[in-house]
Amino acid sequence: MVVIARRLAGHLARGVVMILVVATISFFIVRSIPGDPVAAHTQKLIEQGMAPEAAAQATRVLYGFQPKGSLWEQYGDYLHGLLTFDLGQSVTHAGAPVTDVLAEAAKWTVLPVLAGTLLSFLVGIILGVYAAIKRTGKLGDALAISGSLLHGVPQYVLGLLLSAIFATLIPILPADGPVDILFEPGFNAGYIASLFDHAVLPVATYALAAYGGWILAMKSSVVTVLGDDFILAAELRGMKRSIIFRYIARNAILPLFTILALSLGLLLGGAVFIERIFNYPGLGLLLIESITMRDYALMGGAFLIITVSIIVANIVADLFYSVIDPRVRSGEEVSA
Amino acid sequence: MAKQAPGVRIDGLTVVYKTPAGELPAVRDVTLTLEPGTITGIVGESGSGKSTLALSLLNAVQPPGRIAAGSVDIDGLGDVVALRGENLRKARGKHVGYVFQAAQNSLNPLKTVGKQLLDLGRSHGVDDLRGLVREAKELLGRMGLDGARVLDSHQHELSGGMRQRVGIMLALVLNAHLVVLDEPTTALDMITQANILKIVREVHAERGLTTLVITHDIGVVAEVADRLAVMYGGRLVEQGPTRQVLGAPRHPYTRGLIKAIPRLVGDIAEAQALPGRPPTLVTVPKEGCVFRERCPLRMDVCDTVDPAALADGPRVVACHAVNVKEHA
Repeated sequence: MVVIARRLAGHLARGVVMILVVATISFFIVRSIPGDPVAAHTQKLIEQGMAPEAAAQATRVLYGFQPKGSLWEQYGDYLHGLLTFDLGQSVTHAGAPVTDVLAEAAKWTVLPVLAGTLLSFLVGIILGVYAAIKRTGKLGDALAISGSLLHGVPQYVLGLLLSAIFATLIPILPADGPVDILFEPGFNAGYIASLFDHAVLPVATYALAAYGGWILAMKSSVVTVLGDDFILAAELRGMKRSIIFRYIARNAILPLFTILALSLGLLLGGAVFIERIFNYPGLGLLLIESITMRDYALMGGAFLIITVSIIVANIVADLFYSVIDPRVRSGEEVSA
Repeated sequence: MAKQAPGVRIDGLTVVYKTPAGELPAVRDVTLTLEPGTITGIVGESGSGKSTLALSLLNAVQPPGRIAAGSVDIDGLGDVVALRGENLRKARGKHVGYVFQAAQNSLNPLKTVGKQLLDLGRSHGVDDLRGLVREAKELLGRMGLDGARVLDSHQHELSGGMRQRVGIMLALVLNAHLVVLDEPTTALDMITQANILKIVREVHAERGLTTLVITHDIGVVAEVADRLAVMYGGRLVEQGPTRQVLGAPRHPYTRGLIKAIPRLVGDIAEAQALPGRPPTLVTVPKEGCVFRERCPLRMDVCDTVDPAALADGPRVVACHAVNVKEHA
């Protein structure tokens, strides 16, 4: 436990440093994108014949604030806000706190991504084991081919395809947002059923897009473990099949946990296309919108949340390893 | 459960491997008897079929290989070749213990030795798991290890010599009285080798085992084996009491092997390597003697007729040149 606690402390320290670095980079990059929404609006009003003072005043009324101080002073304010989890206000959401806007969007991204990824992970690894064991037969071939095929199709093509088939050609599923606006939000059957209904296509897209990767990765991992000496040794010692199967599964699944953690971290930011196709007001759509509108605070916040989720995913994966792999736990090198 | 050393009769055993060139024999028509309570050593080069022969004792030849003919009759177990499914699984480990080459990782890297011991016990329906652990600690202690510590360790925390002793413990802990050791000392340093061989000899005597040792190292069999069998190209070319075979080898291959051993004293040039290379599955001759390409005593008959293994007292030799001379 001491080892794990020390690992955690080290990871957290490094994680905080990384977050600061990324926050700094995104702060300056975002602000060097051409186009300044406040200046643009003021300029527009001046061109419409308003006096500069009045134009600035009108803009302040519209956006609720005016940038003050130099870029460095703004950076100082930003860092100070960061420490108190204050990411500023979003100019495009009528001055609402960025954290609120992000939290609202996050629920439409996190749940479908989590459901889709876990679903594809479970199905992919189970079928991957079969694909490995039956690799010389027709079933194994079929599974491997299905994996390669789906792995090769880009996520947004799958999304468009599913949307075209199940929402347009055979309109049995909705693709028009996260929930039907007819229902009152809350714990009533209609609302929840509508949530599920609307989630089917995006979740299926996430799952199908990731499934190919899982099945191929699991297959090759199982094939490697099957060739390991200790599996033959266990057979020659007369171990039960169920026990040998557990030996194989546990050893084969090990390398896949890193990929799982990383893909969960990455998917939070990579959901842009799918959210666009299915009109989910999630983080991906929010990011695109904030970039178009030059909403600096929101952009910075969206970048930050993606960064943090990847860093956290890494830390979780690493700690998880120390729990499940004794070779990592004792801090020794993993022998090949 | 067999409480005393079982005898083993291997009769006409042929094991083939499926290759693009058809099914080719890795072990051909091998007949060998392991007397109860003895240590038998099988010597051969890589690819001579000795490991395949060892796996046959557990009916565990791995695909694409299969036992094509012959039988392996073990006292208290019957013909292992005919065993299937659960009966076969239960025989493995409980009746026949198998010890892997030390360099091979024969343990699950994610579990402690102790947990794998319990898995083994549960697989074989052992009710008294505490007793099993006690027995394992005793065996490990007998081999000079701290049993409690070893059971609490993972494979990567053990040295090669320690792993090998764990392997021997796992082969014996279910009270198997027939033990197969596949290259038990390969990849170990000289001191550890000597230690392991001493342990094999002592445990063999103390527990009353029938032991089969597979090795490419004539020194190993010279040290532990009562009987010695020499394999070449999937055939047993010579067998007999170890001292007699090593002292007065008859088959030209055995003679060549012994001549090839460098001596500790004297001129290194006295050691003469056998000319040519051992056959592989594909290059081994389909008919005639498997050794003729490298044989100094080659005759015309060797090209066409496979020499029969003929017994002369306790010794068996499969060679036209030797047997013609002896029986003329």
